[in-house]
Amino acid sequence: MIAKKQITVTIDGQKCVGEQGQTILQIATANSIHIPTLCYLKDLSSWGGCRMCIVEVAGSPKVVPSCATPAADGATYAANNDRLRGLRRLTLELLFSERNHICPICPMNHGDCELQQQGYQHGMDNVRYPYLYPSLPMDMSGKYFALDHNRCILCTRCIRVCDEVEGVHTLDVAFRGEKNRVIVDLNATFGASDSCTSCGACVAACPTGALFDKAAAFRGKLNNCQTVRTTCTECPVGCGLLVSTKQNRIVEVFGDHDSPVNRGHLCVRGRYETWAVPRERIVQPMIRTIHTLKPVSWQQALREIARIRGKLDATQTALLVSPRITNETAKVVTRLAARFGKVGMFVAHDEAALCSAGVTASGKVDMLTDADAIIVLGAQLSRTHGVLAAKIRTAVRRHGAKLLVLHARKSELDAYADICANVVSLEHVFWDRVAGVLKNAKRPALVYGAASMTPIGVTVMERLIKILEGNPSGKAPIMIPLTASTNSLELARMGIGPVEEIAPWLDAQPLQYLHIVASDEPDGGARLLDETPARELLKQIDCVVAQASYQSELTEIARIVLPAAPWFEKSGTVTNIEGRELPLRPVLPPHGEAREDAGILEALLS
Amino acid sequence: MSDKPKIRVATAWLGGCSGCHMSFLDLDERLIELSQLVEFTASPITDVKEIPEVDVGIVEGAVCTDENEHVLRTMRAQCKVLIALGDCAVTGNIPAMRNQFKLEDVVARGFIETESTQIGEMPNDPVVPRLLERVRPLHEIVRVDAYIPGCPPDADTIWYVLTELLAGRAPKWDERTLNYD
Repeated sequence: MIAKKQITVTIDGQKCVGEQGQTILQIATANSIHIPTLCYLKDLSSWGGCRMCIVEVAGSPKVVPSCATPAADGATYAANNDRLRGLRRLTLELLFSERNHICPICPMNHGDCELQQQGYQHGMDNVRYPYLYPSLPMDMSGKYFALDHNRCILCTRCIRVCDEVEGVHTLDVAFRGEKNRVIVDLNATFGASDSCTSCGACVAACPTGALFDKAAAFRGKLNNCQTVRTTCTECPVGCGLLVSTKQNRIVEVFGDHDSPVNRGHLCVRGRYETWAVPRERIVQPMIRTIHTLKPVSWQQALREIARIRGKLDATQTALLVSPRITNETAKVVTRLAARFGKVGMFVAHDEAALCSAGVTASGKVDMLTDADAIIVLGAQLSRTHGVLAAKIRTAVRRHGAKLLVLHARKSELDAYADICANVVSLEHVFWDRVAGVLKNAKRPALVYGAASMTPIGVTVMERLIKILEGNPSGKAPIMIPLTASTNSLELARMGIGPVEEIAPWLDAQPLQYLHIVASDEPDGGARLLDETPARELLKQIDCVVAQASYQSELTEIARIVLPAAPWFEKSGTVTNIEGRELPLRPVLPPHGEAREDAGILEALLS
Repeated sequence: MSDKPKIRVATAWLGGCSGCHMSFLDLDERLIELSQLVEFTASPITDVKEIPEVDVGIVEGAVCTDENEHVLRTMRAQCKVLIALGDCAVTGNIPAMRNQFKLEDVVARGFIETESTQIGEMPNDPVVPRLLERVRPLHEIVRVDAYIPGCPPDADTIWYVLTELLAGRAPKWDERTLNYD
């Protein structure tokens, strides 16, 4: 790489060194000179719309927005003086007068609002412009967040993050002058939006209370919450989370900007589904009497399990675990293996082959953003692995990366693809087209899912790699395996065999005792019961123990239920598709008598 | 007791919840100190209705009715320094939320359409003050000399502004002293 030319500028009398092409704001920030901003957000394109970051240029009567003006070598700038402070205060007054900013009734009040903070910092004790009091609607139709136009300052941070990071461009502005307003799709609502993925990036980017999370509103101020860094266990991407809590409750969940995996971005699953939807927790061990589950102590529950198992031969017992368990829990499982007739991990349908393949990604998932050709083979990732889908969309939208989606089912990603085809119907002409699209690929990536492990899938994959390697650049693609289940690749490597069809697994030998570690599966592990034969077979087992965080159909049929800690009460590590070992940290103390999976299984050992 | 003549103060409560006056009373023992320097005349606290000529007028609440406007103009005419106390007086705040709607719709909602109203009637007694078409902060009607934002401003902020003004200084506002809630 060629080093950029160094430039020297003077800001507020201080000599500052930067690179050619850097903005005045970037150089000032790098040299610890504070310039107030509102519409500027690091990692997004500059907009230069709010005029808070204005600076004076020596020799020019005009002020310029420092976030959007490249610094000129040798130039002298003033970033903070009385004139600029006065102009910035005027800007703030105009912003406050334009909409209905009523701080006392806003969830961002008390320090979470950047507009309010700027008002304080600029000594704005009143607004000298007449208030417009426009009559503006609210959009409460979104499942997880709402848009209140009364508090919007049209900074377009939401629009830019939706476009540049999530890559869907659901939001934009419409109408002219004072009627200018953020819109969803073509003036629809969040609830009726076709394109919105509910990733919540717009809410995280909003400087005011215009976009806010419904579940977080009025639950506590973020600036006096405790924040814990942990890892999302909803899918195998392993995004970093920042979880804010107050009084033993989760107030809000945001992406961790320091995470090399997701760089602050999240999808709807990590951002909301794990905490913003109320679910019935299991708070104590329970043993079924004739019809109902009766609360018992841990001692009673464990004694009952020991009594039942004591009468049985090991071959009559089995242990079935969720792919969400931590690596530490998996170690206990492998130690327990000898005491059970068989041990398995339930995974998504058709996924066993991929889980057992012992693969990890040959590059970092973040490299997808820079890839110039991406092939998605036999994987459904648009909704289930939202952060990956976002990286792929932005690669396509930002720098025109070629996208091939080869799968068995349709997905939202198809709309962005150059070629989109069913893997089972590939003809000769088709390969000419594929070769044409991939011709100039210099940074290719191949994301492969469960369906790539079928005979045709393997053939297709080999052919794609051959095409890429035959290109002028001859670059082999970054290979990213994609399972549906969180930790399944690592667990399979540790020797816990994946089970995709429950019924044949159960049927292979008659069981009297089945211990299911359902962990905090979204459906409480109830997907085990999806197939009728599996359901019938489970009912025939004399004793089913469900170790789960939430009530579900599974706990309904279990004879003994043990309360397990969900993701926010867990410690340990999980391994993502890159092979990166990621930490889980307890965000809250255990609820009720819940214990971590590893601890419960240890108790079975003794 | 000093021989210095006391500064005469009047306060008024317009369209607001009285929270700002409550916050004023939260000065607690500082009220005794203040009473050494200041003489309270007309005020909801003293229950004196007619505003005499004073040095300082302190007004809470937004201008919602013709009576509010009359009181405000009287206060302005009678005082040398007028202080807008609290967000309603400074910005219009919650009372001004009705500005987004037509006045008759707001009144109908309040007096006829509320869920608990059985037989509603629009208020029409000439004694009842007329609602203005739009709620306004004080400075959109008269000249205001100092602002104390806050909903309500806390007692420490009120104390800070009053002591600064009594010392002949303009209060300095920054993130330590300002509060819009």
